[in-house]
Amino acid sequence: MRRYLKLHSIFIKQDLKKLMEYKVDFLLGAVGFLMEQAVQIFCLGIIFSTIPALCYTVNGTVVDSWSFHEVLFIYGFSLIPKGIDHLFFDNLWGMGYWIVDKGDFDKYLTRPINSWFYVLCEKFCVDALGEFIVGIALLIYSTLSMPAEVVADINWWRVIPVALVLPFCIMIFTSIKTATAAISFWTKRSGHITHMCYMTNDFAKYPVKIYNTVVKTAITYILPFALTAYYPAIFLLRGESVWSLPVTVLISVVLFGLSQFIWHKGLRAYESAGS
Amino acid sequence: MKRRLRIYKPFTRAGILEMVAFRVNFIFFLLGEIMKCFVMFFVWKAVYDSSDSTTLYGFSYDNMVVYLFVTFLSGYLTYSDGSYVIGKEILDGSIAMRMIKPVNFDMCFLFQELGGKIFQLLIVFLPITVGLEAYRWIVSGCFMLNVPMFLLYCLSLILAYGINFFFSVTYGFLAFYLKNLWGTDIIKGVIINFFSGATVPLAFMGGFGHILSFLPFASLSYTPVMIYMGMYDMGQIAFYLSLQLVWLVFFYVLSKLVLQSAMKRLVVHGG
Repeated sequence: MRRYLKLHSIFIKQDLKKLMEYKVDFLLGAVGFLMEQAVQIFCLGIIFSTIPALCYTVNGTVVDSWSFHEVLFIYGFSLIPKGIDHLFFDNLWGMGYWIVDKGDFDKYLTRPINSWFYVLCEKFCVDALGEFIVGIALLIYSTLSMPAEVVADINWWRVIPVALVLPFCIMIFTSIKTATAAISFWTKRSGHITHMCYMTNDFAKYPVKIYNTVVKTAITYILPFALTAYYPAIFLLRGESVWSLPVTVLISVVLFGLSQFIWHKGLRAYESAGS
Repeated sequence: MKRRLRIYKPFTRAGILEMVAFRVNFIFFLLGEIMKCFVMFFVWKAVYDSSDSTTLYGFSYDNMVVYLFVTFLSGYLTYSDGSYVIGKEILDGSIAMRMIKPVNFDMCFLFQELGGKIFQLLIVFLPITVGLEAYRWIVSGCFMLNVPMFLLYCLSLILAYGINFFFSVTYGFLAFYLKNLWGTDIIKGVIINFFSGATVPLAFMGGFGHILSFLPFASLSYTPVMIYMGMYDMGQIAFYLSLQLVWLVFFYVLSKLVLQSAMKRLVVHGG
């Protein structure tokens, strides 16, 4: 374990050197990402300017509602586990798009370390810091703009459990990426499957109650992105859905096991791309 | 003219074959992209439920659903990958192989991409339009598709693709100067998405949105979508179609100029 941690830090150092070399790449990537988020938030602002609060209604009666700042809070929270996963484990995308397809995966098999770990830590994606920072900034901004009595409710009894669950939220992202990247062992390319699964993450940025049962079930239990965004965020804000915290731990562990199983099965099926 | 078309026929064929070969990837990618529409489908539903009035800036909820999907469809069909492909060829030097052939450089890309578009028309355009019209038919109780409007929409779509293509080619030559693809491509996507009203209709942005509707980005998807939905009267349609034509000519000329100046700077190492 300690050896692996040490290796990881060496890889990160290497990537930072690379970054220094290609400053423009990094800058453009960061600017692009920031613009993307700014536009999203601006559009959210426009949508909310037409209504006082986002309501969930059943037969015309309002059951639950979220203010603009609460939605921003959920949105911001969703970026944090996603950003951390992106920062450390971005290389799994490459698996599905070109590593297996071009036969580059052979490299990972010839080293005396776990191939999965090697793929994970080979790339340190600094661009992801943007995601993380925007997430934190949104959390701070939205908290400051909320009424004082809402903010007063956010105490350590809410913050600590969420902080403890956070690694499991990250694990959900990594597991989904691992499982879908492993499909490429059979099909050579699977990046588009990863992409498809990842896009459902967009659902989790908004209050889950506004969706119908099918979507709700899918994003809570099957591709459980809601567990990484809406549920912990709403627990922080209102103390609602306490059940989701243990469920997150349980589901992420199951998903992780499943993704490892698929990966190892795939490793056995892998045959290099002939050239 | 006929001879010229014959030259480019193999490129179109190659484009179709490429699409067919990667059809599974393509379908997964598409399913991922359309997810955004479904997210917004639910968000807008909640927004309309929360609002006191049934229309926002002239859009009813059903209008909004049609808007979402037609915008996605139009954006998808008029999307051009030119900037990425050209940028990649410039960076790895394979562009040299294209330049020594007696064919027009950008026309190769155009016809190759058009081949892909033929495939997309069948697999994306048909199912989504049929599905959408079925939705409108169920919701309103009558058949909503207006055939002349639909033809005008198709015309506008073709113009939009032309603008997008030449804009994309121009943008692709930025790679000469920036030597970066990933970041610049994200920026391009964001600009097009926002300024063309793909996330929120330009009508929601008031005066600012009105200004945006004159920019080339609105010509890329907002204009065709508005025509499809019947939001423009005949005068407006004529105006915005001619505006599209103006932008098409503008970017065509611009891409030629940029191409000429870039060719002088092109350095390819090795081969």
